[in-house]
Amino acid sequence: MSAISELSSISRKKGKATPEEKKANSRDNKAAYIFLLPWLVGLIAITIGPMLMSLYLSFTDYNLLQPPEWVGLENFTRMLTDARLHNSLGVTFTYVFIGVPLQLAVALLIALVLDKGMRGLPFYRSVFYLPSLLGGSVAVAILWKQIFGTTGLVNQVLAMFGIQGPGWISDPSTALGSIILLHVWTFGAPMIIFLAGLRQIPTMYYEAAKVDGATTLQQFWRITMPMLSPIIFFNLVLQIIGSFQSFTQAFIVSGGNGGPSDSTMFFTLYLYQKGFGQFDMGYASAMAWLLLVIIGIFTAINFIASKYWVFYDD
Amino acid sequence: MPLFSRPASAAKQSAETPTTGSRRPLRKTGLVAAAAAVVMALSACGGGAASESADGPVELRFSWWGGDKRAQLTQEAIKQFEAENPNIKIKPEFGDWSGYWDKLATQVAANDAPDIIQMDEKYITEYSSRGALLDLSKYEIDTSKLDEAALNAGKSEDGLTGIAAGINAATILANPKVFEAAGVPLPDDSTWTWQDFERIATEITAKSPQGTYGAAAYGTDEASLGVWLRQNGKSLYTSDGKLGFEPSDIADWWAFLKQLSEKKAVPSASEVVEAEAAPLDQSGLATGKNGMAFWWSNQAPALEKASGGDLKILRFPTKTGKADDAGLWYKASQFWSASSRTKHPEETAKFIDFLANDVKAGETLLADRGVYPNSDVRAAIEPKLTPADVKVVKFIDQIKDELGEAPAPPPKGAGSIQEIIKRYTSEVLFERLSTEEAGKKAHDEMKSAISS
Repeated sequence: MSAISELSSISRKKGKATPEEKKANSRDNKAAYIFLLPWLVGLIAITIGPMLMSLYLSFTDYNLLQPPEWVGLENFTRMLTDARLHNSLGVTFTYVFIGVPLQLAVALLIALVLDKGMRGLPFYRSVFYLPSLLGGSVAVAILWKQIFGTTGLVNQVLAMFGIQGPGWISDPSTALGSIILLHVWTFGAPMIIFLAGLRQIPTMYYEAAKVDGATTLQQFWRITMPMLSPIIFFNLVLQIIGSFQSFTQAFIVSGGNGGPSDSTMFFTLYLYQKGFGQFDMGYASAMAWLLLVIIGIFTAINFIASKYWVFYDD
Repeated sequence: MPLFSRPASAAKQSAETPTTGSRRPLRKTGLVAAAAAVVMALSACGGGAASESADGPVELRFSWWGGDKRAQLTQEAIKQFEAENPNIKIKPEFGDWSGYWDKLATQVAANDAPDIIQMDEKYITEYSSRGALLDLSKYEIDTSKLDEAALNAGKSEDGLTGIAAGINAATILANPKVFEAAGVPLPDDSTWTWQDFERIATEITAKSPQGTYGAAAYGTDEASLGVWLRQNGKSLYTSDGKLGFEPSDIADWWAFLKQLSEKKAVPSASEVVEAEAAPLDQSGLATGKNGMAFWWSNQAPALEKASGGDLKILRFPTKTGKADDAGLWYKASQFWSASSRTKHPEETAKFIDFLANDVKAGETLLADRGVYPNSDVRAAIEPKLTPADVKVVKFIDQIKDELGEAPAPPPKGAGSIQEIIKRYTSEVLFERLSTEEAGKKAHDEMKSAISS
């Protein structure tokens, strides 16, 4: 809150600016815009332009080879009856609502352990962060495919105990689980953020709690969690948005077809297939906008809900 | 309008000079120049860059799908062409089947299509009906020596948009080593039935070490479905571009597959899914895990090379036990097509003509893309063929009199049929859908895929 109050006092000051100050301000603004120009050009040419184009395309029938044809809301009404699209939404929701909480829980747990201040902390921190750097990559997805194959590492280990494991990624009932596991494994990024957050909590709270005889668990629930809640919230928002858009893992692990039996057909993967596999770019664009709306809704819910559980220490 | 204080004073100074009047237009020209630069930069990334004029060297881009062996042979053929035509440079672009079509679609949409495109019958209507392919009949390509059926396969209302690169047939390839190890004799493919196929495959699995199966599962592409339908008096597509079968036909096809799966004649559902993703040289047949598998005839030499042993090419089994009822056909394995937006149609046609009609190209490419449709080239290269190639040519010759009617060309949207078949095959094998349900759903989906 302190930063915000400072900001508001600045803006209050601004209100009483003399004409000279105003002039200087506008000059500063222009300079800022000039410096921003490279970014602005990028934003307009690479982000906003294509976005508007895709908004237009979502109301057309566009097969990539011929000019788009205006069809109004047809793409959106088609979505209502597209069973594969509904399935892909189900797959994506499962991935987000199981994968994200699991990943954050693991990240927090590891961060708590590392925060205890052990020797060689930078080393462990790097090691745990490594999967995050690799996790979204094609190479690791391919590795995952090998590890969880019918004759992969996991099943070889299981075989030592006399258990015949299924083909984890080729069986529709376990394929999505394997990809969620891959996602959980990339807990490094939120872990680093948690770790930084944990360092911000003043130790005096814990000292006071200890004097009052609070157990470790009580300290965690009464001090760590509330103090860390803004960080948890931040990670939650980021991870939910990111997970809704995840594509690479499912694409590589399933060989690009979302199989077996559409069990790993993420929304983005289906979008890609529609657009580039079936030349249905209009529909794919409409799907992209549906995803944007879904992510928007969930982010809004997140922010509204945050009022009830996120605690800002002033 | 000044932006910083110092340039502001500079501007003032310049404002006092006599050039004041011309400042505004000057700025405009500057703007136009900048815009032009941007446009030029954009078009430079768009078109095939560095391909200039009649005298300078022309660069053509040539893209195909296929494995290592094909890449090697094709690049050799390119070298020979370049040696004869020093003014034309061919830039190869190649990759796996799975990524090929996504890439091509994107390139065509971005107006960046390769000049020469290896095309498949599943997609040729898709592209030609939308004006993306060049009508090759308007250019100098000799088609007089080409097999007529193969030539016709590349013709449509939109002209001659593809020259067949080779002739193919759907086959079952058998690995004799697996048969021997199991102590099962190879079948007589001129009399065998689907019952024989089931019995033999079941026996091999039973007598082989764990993980080896009598046959690979069918149901991962439309070729085996096409044969099945033809043997039952139906077809994949009708000549007016509709589906040529009923839901019950495809349900029967899956029912038999399920039966094979229950008897362990074919691998488990999980293994089938994994096998789909494996490249040719890691397929069950190449690694000795399958006794028999469903492949196109032109793939036999590459598979033989990968398996490191001998492979036998078999006709499909029939319902009646008569080879005449096998319902096979000559398929154009691939087409040579050209982008309708190529800047050098003459040179492109010249290269396609070289690929299709030049003995030197034939001597290099041999039978990798199927048996040569040009009868002269076919005869000329015969002594050069490897034993594996000879086997393919012989097989194609052998079935000549048993062929059924040429199937109708795949309609627009046929490119997504394979994916639908695959998906419902795994639904059936994992017992998530009954064969009837899968038949009905798959039929519905296919119908809408080719009608949109």
